[in-house]
Amino acid sequence: MEKMRTALLLVSALAAFAQAPSTPTAAPKKPAAPKSAEAAPAKNFKLSGSPSAACTIEIYTDYECPHCRRLYLETMPEILTKYLNTNKIQVLHRDFPLPGHQYSKLAARYANAAGQIGKYEMAVTQIFTTQADWSQNGNIDGAMAKVFAQADMVKIREMVKNDSHLDDSVTADFAMGQKDGLTETPTIMIVKGGKRERISGFMPANILGSYLDQKLAQK
Amino acid sequence: MKPHHWKWLLLAGRLGLAGIFLAAGIAKLREPWAQFAVSLYGFKLLPDDMLEPIAKTLPWAEVALGVAILSGIWLRWFALLGSLIITLFLGVLIRSYAMGLQVDCGCFGSGEALGPMTIVRDSTMLLLGAAVTFGAFRIRRS
Repeated sequence: MEKMRTALLLVSALAAFAQAPSTPTAAPKKPAAPKSAEAAPAKNFKLSGSPSAACTIEIYTDYECPHCRRLYLETMPEILTKYLNTNKIQVLHRDFPLPGHQYSKLAARYANAAGQIGKYEMAVTQIFTTQADWSQNGNIDGAMAKVFAQADMVKIREMVKNDSHLDDSVTADFAMGQKDGLTETPTIMIVKGGKRERISGFMPANILGSYLDQKLAQK
Repeated sequence: MKPHHWKWLLLAGRLGLAGIFLAAGIAKLREPWAQFAVSLYGFKLLPDDMLEPIAKTLPWAEVALGVAILSGIWLRWFALLGSLIITLFLGVLIRSYAMGLQVDCGCFGSGEALGPMTIVRDSTMLLLGAAVTFGAFRIRRS
């Protein structure tokens, strides 16, 4: 009987301890959109969705990381349809180029330059779709030129070459990632009610969707 | 070795085994359940619709088993169950490593890539589990 009582007490104490999540931290401010000499964007092109959404997911990716590619091309379309397009969440892209990937920063420059002319999503999709090609030789320009109009490519190339502020948001995102305790990409931060929860690694849409349902149902 | 020495050894082993299950369960419960689901997904063993229920319940089962072993109630049976569970986990880890899967072990929360040291550690845990089980049956018999 004594053992039973001890066991019950232990379970209660452990349950209380286990329920205190280890990852949530206070939510910081979102990063400002990068400054550009070419054109000042009207809004942060890395952020999409309704400002009234209950929850924000911040996605840290590295353009050369295969799991990030899968997350972007396999998981996110369903999540965007179900949660972003219905104003349930906001999505914030964050760049976290890993040191071991030699072309990641350049890819981020191209994506952010495209963002300056209002074509961020198009660039991100193309960069991830052609990852296997340009990650061999760094020819991101060639991959972009396949889908962007010549006039757009001229603007993008000019910014990639000369815009000293193009990496500002990358620097800010990387610093934020370190603050968030990132060890790998992709990592998703789920931000709700001032709390940040970190989930690392590739996540299929059904798991992320189910977790978002749970978070959105919480008051 | 005198009989009371065996009892002390068994107590030490029991505390160690209980600590392993408690640490593993609590570490998972302190993270979002989706994080453990991500680890489970990486092992490519479970159907997608099983990931969520297992990710939500397995950590609690580990905690419960840890508490049961710690309490000493039906020790030989709970130690046996613990050993069987470690055997199962070890089997999954060896299979995944042999397949060359680059996964997060998820054993004690996230952030540990599966590697040879993971397998060595789990093998040591299995030896501990087997020793506690053997000791618990032996003391019961004597």
